[in-house]
Amino acid sequence: MILHITKRELYDNLNSLRFALTTILLLALMITNAIGFLREHPKRMQQYNESVNKSLTLMNSHADDSLYKLAQQGPGKLYKKPSPLSFCAEGGEHLLPNIIEGSSPFVYSSNLTGIWKLKYPNANVNLKDVGPDVPKVDWTFIIAFVMSLIALLFTFDSISGEREYGTLRLMLANSVPRHTILIGKFLGSLISVSIPFTLAVLTNLLMVSTARNVHLNIEAWERLGIIFFIGLLYTCFFLALGLLVSARVQRSSVSLVILLLIWVTFVIFMPSTLASIAGEFAPALPTEAKWIRHNERQDALWDKYGYILWSDEVDRKTLEAKSGFFKEDSEADEQLNQEYLTSKLAQVQHARSITRVSPATLLQHLIESFAGTGFERHLQFVENTKDYARQYRDFVIDIDKSDAESLHLIGVREGMTKKKILPSAVPKFEDTLNLSKDFDSSVMDILLLTMFVVVLLSGAYLAFVRVEV
Amino acid sequence: MLLTLIRREILDNLMTFRFAAASFIMLLLVVATTGVLIRDYERRLESYNTAVKKHHQEMMDTTTYSAVDLTIDRPPNPLSIFNVGLDKRLGNTIGVSHFFVPSLWDAGKHGADNPYLNIFASIDLVFIFQGILSLLALIFAYDTLAGERERGTLRLVLTHPVRHGQIIFAKYISGMICLLIPLLMCILLVLIMLTTSSSVFLSVDDFLRIGGVVFTSFVYLSLFFLIGMLISAVTRRTSTALMVAMFVWGFLVLVYPNLILTAVDTAPHPDTEPTAYNQIKQIWEEFDKDRLQYLKNDPVPGEEYDFDLSGDGYSFRGPTYDSSRLLHYYATGFEHKKLREESEPMMPHAQDYHRFFGTQITNTADRMWLVRKPALEALYTQPAKLEQMLLKFSPVGLYDAATEAWTGTDLNGLQDFFTASQRHHQSVMDYYHDNKVFESRLWIVGVEGEIDWNQLPQFSFQRSGIGVNAKRAFPELSLLMMINVVMFTIIFLIFVRSEV
Repeated sequence: MILHITKRELYDNLNSLRFALTTILLLALMITNAIGFLREHPKRMQQYNESVNKSLTLMNSHADDSLYKLAQQGPGKLYKKPSPLSFCAEGGEHLLPNIIEGSSPFVYSSNLTGIWKLKYPNANVNLKDVGPDVPKVDWTFIIAFVMSLIALLFTFDSISGEREYGTLRLMLANSVPRHTILIGKFLGSLISVSIPFTLAVLTNLLMVSTARNVHLNIEAWERLGIIFFIGLLYTCFFLALGLLVSARVQRSSVSLVILLLIWVTFVIFMPSTLASIAGEFAPALPTEAKWIRHNERQDALWDKYGYILWSDEVDRKTLEAKSGFFKEDSEADEQLNQEYLTSKLAQVQHARSITRVSPATLLQHLIESFAGTGFERHLQFVENTKDYARQYRDFVIDIDKSDAESLHLIGVREGMTKKKILPSAVPKFEDTLNLSKDFDSSVMDILLLTMFVVVLLSGAYLAFVRVEV
Repeated sequence: MLLTLIRREILDNLMTFRFAAASFIMLLLVVATTGVLIRDYERRLESYNTAVKKHHQEMMDTTTYSAVDLTIDRPPNPLSIFNVGLDKRLGNTIGVSHFFVPSLWDAGKHGADNPYLNIFASIDLVFIFQGILSLLALIFAYDTLAGERERGTLRLVLTHPVRHGQIIFAKYISGMICLLIPLLMCILLVLIMLTTSSSVFLSVDDFLRIGGVVFTSFVYLSLFFLIGMLISAVTRRTSTALMVAMFVWGFLVLVYPNLILTAVDTAPHPDTEPTAYNQIKQIWEEFDKDRLQYLKNDPVPGEEYDFDLSGDGYSFRGPTYDSSRLLHYYATGFEHKKLREESEPMMPHAQDYHRFFGTQITNTADRMWLVRKPALEALYTQPAKLEQMLLKFSPVGLYDAATEAWTGTDLNGLQDFFTASQRHHQSVMDYYHDNKVFESRLWIVGVEGEIDWNQLPQFSFQRSGIGVNAKRAFPELSLLMMINVVMFTIIFLIFVRSEV
């Protein structure tokens, strides 16, 4: 029986105006998305490759020079790898920094240069772009805004409409249990929404995957599959919502008004308004204080080591003092940087977790984490660079240790090994993504979204069972 | 007759559930958003005040002319609560120096706000009106004609001696009155919240500007109401009308802006930046050559820019090579409290050199500006203008541009500030030349209190008058009104010729 009702719903929908309009709209959006992506992505990749190569060449030249140079100058600039799936979610990438610097030792004077530390550039505030601030069309936009609206337009009259025409009475006169009708209607509308969506997605993927300069590997396809199903799950949420309201309300026009108002509130306003309210509860550490702390700490350090640092002697005591000073200075600086970065990121994290009340944000977070863009990805990038910095430092220490003649004083030329090092032996930074890790971190969100759907469906069921025809 | 019709329509609309629900939600959203926006404005104002105080203190603490940082700050615009435009996004602090003419693109940001928070979209009142008012207008309008036709009441009405035009007009007037009620209620609430807030000060002009925003919102609303009526006039059934109306709304408001800006590549020609930057570099190198030539010809051989002056203080030399801002120079300066005895004989030479340097550097800055100005415009302003033009094919874009112009948060409004900063730069340079600052001893050496910084021209900035705002909003506003008239005529023609 479910099958029968589903089929009827489906045929009803396939011939309707909304089905045609939906198909056209989704196709246009997905094709635009692919065009935009194919225009931007090769440029981004080229820029990334060039920057990485430049950074590597510099590091190799340091390695050719000596281990001291490596220990002093550091691995250079570390770049975030652009995700090949950025067409799924732009994720505010243009506002997030795509680089972390592992270089720039502080020059105290011409013969006193410190050692490198990780430096985190601030988020890009785009001060030069005077154009309108309109987000690009990506899958997130298409699913979060357009698909949800379409889902509501497909279901707002599915029960109230039948009631208005009097066909509901007719249907219930048969010996069909009410839940069968509900499930049939749900499946029918799900399938009819999925058809144009799938068509549009396939067109999009066809364009993207056949392009010469974009390579999607197996993992990328897995991710795309997951994103597709998350998109359908999200659509189910709005279908269920539509059924619920449609069952409760007598007239379809009223049902649509209610649904649209809910939609506008949850999808458009909640995310940004809640974010600005939530951001205030966990303010980041003020940047001004950072410099005061930095200066205080450095003054203390100067007091501790003092004049010996200015000496040009190469006796053990001076070298030890220099090495100790450099190490402490760069470590403390890096820690301070990290502390401030963490407090800023924590504020954003806080705001993000509160905005999850809105299913649209939930969807956005999910797609971002699977597409490898956005804020979570940025956190991962920061972690990756930290891991790498540790690895790099260990490498320098290990090489130095392997030479018995060296004084093992990192950061001073005379205290380190003078042996040649192979540039290829130096660890290289490769920014990576990990599917299982992404999946683990987003399981909660998926569960939450599924719960929303289940709750709404049972609500729709209850409403429909109690309804009088 | 017309009055009867209007009264009937109004009563019909006001008593509906959709009216109550829509007004309620709208008020709720507007109040919540206004609260957030006022708080945000307060924070920005606080940050501005702190920055002004800090920069003033820094100036007062400087002891020489060559080391001073004359920084000016841009106050936040209180009307950004209505349409934030570029007010929050663009730089709000800019240094005035003799090395370059300040422009929008040289501005930085003061304030301790967390830039990572920019990943959240920020909304303003116009955004709410833009989304919800248009939706409301369509919901009110979709069944005006189709509904009556479906129920058969249209036939009934037309049996009376009423003209077709009267019916349309009555429906339009009554619908608009019903839509104005929530709009005016919202505006009233916002105004109450604004006037009770202790930090927002609105001048008479500001109230007139808000009036302009409200009028524009009204015209925008009317346009969507007419779109709804048009759909209603051409469709036979209300359900079809509703579906078409929703898709039209989704397309115009939600999809079109994003779609068009993704589809069209507005990036400037890749050669624009390097070409202009090379020109700038050349101008600087010419200056540098002249400078070195001068140093070579003067009686003391072998010195560099700091003339080996040493004392209680420092000299600095900091390069700025920024191709995205088209700036290429290195700043040099001194901040000595006292010179050593052996440096004193060098001072006359250093002063002579800086007399030469002073005229040269201001000329060079002006010459660079002649290249920079058109190049920066080609790089940043023209793509932005193109994008804006593309957006104007949807009423949403027109509405946004018009309200931005009213509130003064559009590009023109912000350029006003930077034009003022350029005037300030010019007057400071004139002051330097008139008072022979470059060749004075205070360029290099000075103790605290020796320079009276308050003598320097003071920077002041007033937002442009209401007349200018009105002039800037006029093209979009008149376009919106014209589309209204055209729509009304089309509806009238269709309705007159249609069969009941």
